[in-house]
This record gives sequence, structure tokens and C-alpha cells, in this order.
Amino acid sequence: MKHVIFILLATCLSLGAWAQNKQILYGFEDIPQSLLVNPGGKTQLQKHYGIPFFSQIHFNGGASGISAYDIFGGSGDINEKIDNKIFEMEETDFFSVTQQLEILSFGWRTQQDYYLSGGVYQEFDFIFYYPRDLAILGWNGNQAYLDYEFDLGQLSTTGDLLTVYHFGANKALSNKLTVGLRAKFYSSILSYRSVGNQGTFVTTRADSDAENIYEHRLQDINMRVETSGIANLDEGPVGSKLLGRALFGGNLGVGVDVGATYDITDRLQLSASALDVGAIFHTKNTENYSAQGDYTLDGIELLFPPLSAGDETFPYYDNLEDEILEEVAVDTTTNSYTQMRPMKLNGALQYRFGKILSGGVCDCRNMGKGADRDQAIGVQFFSMARPKGWQMAGTVFYYRRIFDFLSAKATYTYDAYETGNVGIGISTTLNKFNFYLAVDNLLRYGNLAKAKSVSLQFGFNIKMDTE
Amino acid sequence: MNTNLWIPTLVILVLVSTISCIKDTDFEQASDITARPVVELNLIHFEVDAGEFYDESTNTSRLTLSDTTEIRFLDDSGLQESLLRAEFLFEFTNAIPRTFDVTFQFLSEATDTTYTTQTFVEAGTVGVPLVTTYEEVVEGAEILELTSANRVVVNVTIPEANAELEGALRLKSKTTYFLEITERE
Repeated sequence: MKHVIFILLATCLSLGAWAQNKQILYGFEDIPQSLLVNPGGKTQLQKHYGIPFFSQIHFNGGASGISAYDIFGGSGDINEKIDNKIFEMEETDFFSVTQQLEILSFGWRTQQDYYLSGGVYQEFDFIFYYPRDLAILGWNGNQAYLDYEFDLGQLSTTGDLLTVYHFGANKALSNKLTVGLRAKFYSSILSYRSVGNQGTFVTTRADSDAENIYEHRLQDINMRVETSGIANLDEGPVGSKLLGRALFGGNLGVGVDVGATYDITDRLQLSASALDVGAIFHTKNTENYSAQGDYTLDGIELLFPPLSAGDETFPYYDNLEDEILEEVAVDTTTNSYTQMRPMKLNGALQYRFGKILSGGVCDCRNMGKGADRDQAIGVQFFSMARPKGWQMAGTVFYYRRIFDFLSAKATYTYDAYETGNVGIGISTTLNKFNFYLAVDNLLRYGNLAKAKSVSLQFGFNIKMDTE
Repeated sequence: MNTNLWIPTLVILVLVSTISCIKDTDFEQASDITARPVVELNLIHFEVDAGEFYDESTNTSRLTLSDTTEIRFLDDSGLQESLLRAEFLFEFTNAIPRTFDVTFQFLSEATDTTYTTQTFVEAGTVGVPLVTTYEEVVEGAEILELTSANRVVVNVTIPEANAELEGALRLKSKTTYFLEITERE
């Protein structure tokens, strides 16, 4: 089993990348927001309220393949460093920023022992893949790259600003199995995407009977940018417009989160969740641009028409521009489009040990149920659907309840950003007042410039646990 | 709220904020970032038949053919600031048994001549066309003259023409732009 997990993790890690991974929060049952990462997580909660606007503040920013230090750090010529990075980075490398702000959060246990929870959060999510060929073309030009087909399809980026309204139910179906489901309603504020592009640009030395020295060819161009909520942004007051969209006034979508936790033995527990399985339907305020076709540029052909005094010759340059636009047709449309939400998958296997806290062998009402112990170790897996495929990350963790009011979780994560990302999270609850903080990439805090990513989550809740 | 709550909170926040810093990094270097692309781009091309130098309706020769095209990007302020050097390559293939004098006259928006270059094309024959290449390098102070223009007038002059003259004169041309793109004040 250990070998299987190791091979699985190693495979995933070598593929890897991550952007919205909340590896510290996942399975951290002391924190009510862990139910947002796994709606089927086990929870002792009777009731909780998030402090409005402060119950979860999440920020993650990063770049795979590059850090600020790589360019601006140390000694050496900055242009040489950029030159090296431009070639070293791959088209699957990316820059991403994710930010979430929980506005409302609440939950309560029903008499039928369902734990119902809901809330509202705002999310901003941006990813920009490194268009390697375009960077090379821009940095070096085409002289050294005759016959090289620059891949314009490497351009891939999405950006979304939205509010999410959610409501979910969590239920222990048996002593061993807890499941959960969360319905989500998305209210898109601003959105754009340019994905699935294709086309190449190549400069070749033409044959001797060709029209000119080179052929500059745009081949199989099929590029597109879809936007929603952006086109008419400059008309009228922006603030009230954005607020209106945040409150279901914009483009809407639906989705679900599902999750489950299963106690294999009283020490070993398996859990998994799928988040944001859904889509946003962009029907209003859309503006899309597309370019399709092929074109070969030979230069401007002079025809030397016989002209009388005062006559103008042909408008060659205008004709050339018209010809390009005709061959590589650029269209602007206001068609509706459907955007899948970036689905996230989590999975974990944990082994509990140490002192029994509750629910253990002495709990006759809970026979067979996994016992809460003060320590746990385990492995986690995270994957997220991104325009260029699934990004993945693997984590090993150690959890410890240090005191009744204080628990902590340390993580070591492998992902596209870093090969060794150490994170730590703490949750403290005193007089029903809960505070939590999760900080990633601790080893890099000595010099943040060397960090390829930083991630931070914290929040305040009022919570009441089952006694 | 119990003030004890702040103890662990503060410990973590103070710890994070005191140990986190950005070291050995000089963001001022951003102003030194310079891209130096070298761009190969076709310029103009033409093919003129020998017959175009003689007007059979009036039985008179037209010793100079002239045409003009805009090159709108040439006086773009971005190019003006970034262009270090421009290398023109003109490749004539002459199948007309005459020499030619060809001038390229760059004009500004106000039709002032800002830059001129001229070359001589060897005579060829229909059976054995002759290739003449001409390279013109523009750099230094001349760059400003070149990039003040946004159109070029091409004059092709033949010393003598008649109705029996055969063959064609072809031109292929390209420019190599050596750019230096950097942050401008």
C-alpha cells in the first residue's frame, strides 16, 4: 500500500502544479472552514458563525519556474538572467493569483444530526501561462529563428472575479462514513478567458522564383478571447455595477462540492472531495474576439501605374492591411458562452496515534467509529483543472492537538512551484472564539524573493463543539 | 473577547512578519532590462517589363518609372526610440539588356525627403538574367532621418528604351531591424 501511494504521489508530483491548494486547511477539523475544502469532513461542530469579512481571508500568488530572486537577485547582468530564464521556462509554466474573502459563514447542527452550513465568499482567480515562443520572438526577434514555427497557441490565460453563495449538508451516515454535499451559486462580476488557441508564425527564406526574399506565414490561426462584464465597464458608475453583479445581477452559474470521509480502522482514515463541479453561463455583457485563417506576407508589391500629374498611386499599405484582415478574419461577437469552473480534487489518507481524545474504545455509543487522537500523520493529494491540464500537488502532514485550545498542522508539499514547501497552520479556540492561521512556504520567509509562491489564510469564527 | 486569544495570534504574526523579508534583491535593475530583438522583414518587391519603359501609343520612351508606398510603422515613436540599426538588402534580377539607376527616397508626412539611397543595376539578358545586390546600412544619426519618414518613393531609371526591348527587372528587398527596447523616462 505504501509503495502504491509513494508511486502515485511521485507520479503526480513530477507532473505537477497547484494554485488553489489549501493543503493545511484540508482535514483540519478544528477549523469550520475545513468544510469548504471537504463538505464530507468529520466535524464536531454544533454551531459556528464566521466573523463577517474576517472568517476566511485567503491569498495565494505564485509563478512556477521563476522567482523574483532569479531575475533581480544576486549578481550578474539582469539581461543575461532573463535570457536564460526565457529559454529555461516551459510553456506549461504559469503565473497565478488566487484570493478569497469570506463575507458570511455560518453553520448549525439539526436535530436529525445534519450539520448544515452556508455562506458567501468573493473570489478572484487569475492564471497566465508563459507563452514561451512569443517571449522568444519578442526578446530575440526572428532573425535567428528562420524556419522555426512560433507556436501562438501557447497563449492561454483566464481571469475571474465572482461571488459564491453556498449551502451544504454534512452527515455521519454510520460510525465509519461521513458524507457531505454543498450547492453553490456563482454570480460572476468580471470574467475573461483566452484558451484553446492555435496557430503558428514562421519566417522562411523563400525560393528564388518567389515574390520576395522571405515568406512570413501565419498558419492555421484560430485564436479567441471571451469576455463577460468587461466590455461596458466604462459606461456609468463602476462601483454600483460591480456590486449589482456580485448580488446575482450578472452572469450566473451553479455547481456542487461533494466529499466523504471513511474510517477504515479506528486509526486509519481515508477522505476525498471534489469542489466546484459546475459552470457559469455567460449570457449578458459578453464580448468575444476571434481571429481565424492563414496569411503569407510577401511585402508590398509596387505596380508602377502610369500616372498623370496630381494622380495618386495605389494605397498599397492600406490594401495590405485590408488583405491581412480579410485573410485572418477578426470577428467581434456577443455570443453567450459556458465556462466550466476550475474543478478541484482532494484526497487524503491519515493515520492517527497518540492519546485518545474522544470517540475511542471507551465510547460505547460510538463502537467502531474512528477514535480522535491527539496526533495524526498522513498524505494528501490535490489536483485542479486548469486550461493546460490538471495541476497536481502532493503533501505529507503531521497534525497535533497541543492543548485543548490549540492544535497545529505542519505540511510538506511538492508542487509545480517548489520542490519543498513547508507550511504550518494553527487553530486556537478559547471561549468559543476560534482563530486560525495557515502560512505556506515557511522556509522561504527568510527571503521571500526566492519564493516562487506564497500562500496565506486566516480567519476568525465563533464556534460551539459537541461536548 | 478574551485577550489571551491574541497571544498565539500575535506570536505567529510577529514571527511571520519578522522572519519574512526580501533580501539580496535589487528591483532598481528593472530599468536596465533591455530586449534586443533582431527582426527580419520583407520590404517591397516589384517586377517591371521592358515594355513599360516605352509608350507604344505615343512612340515615346518613359525613362523613369516611379511609385510610392507608405511604410506607416517607420515613423512610429516606438520604432524611432528603439531602432539602433537598419540593414536594407535590395536584390535585383535584371533580364533587360540595359543598366538601371534606382533611387529610394524616404519622405516624411510633410513630404520632405529625410533619407535617400541610390544604386546601379547591371544589365542582363533574357537568357542570362543578372543578379545585382545592394546593401545599405543605416545607423547613428541617420536613424532619425530614416525614422522621420513614413513613405518611400522608388524611381527606376533606364538610360534608353525602345519598342523592341525585352525582358523584365525584378526587385526583392528586406530590412533587418536591430532594436533595443528598454524602459524610457
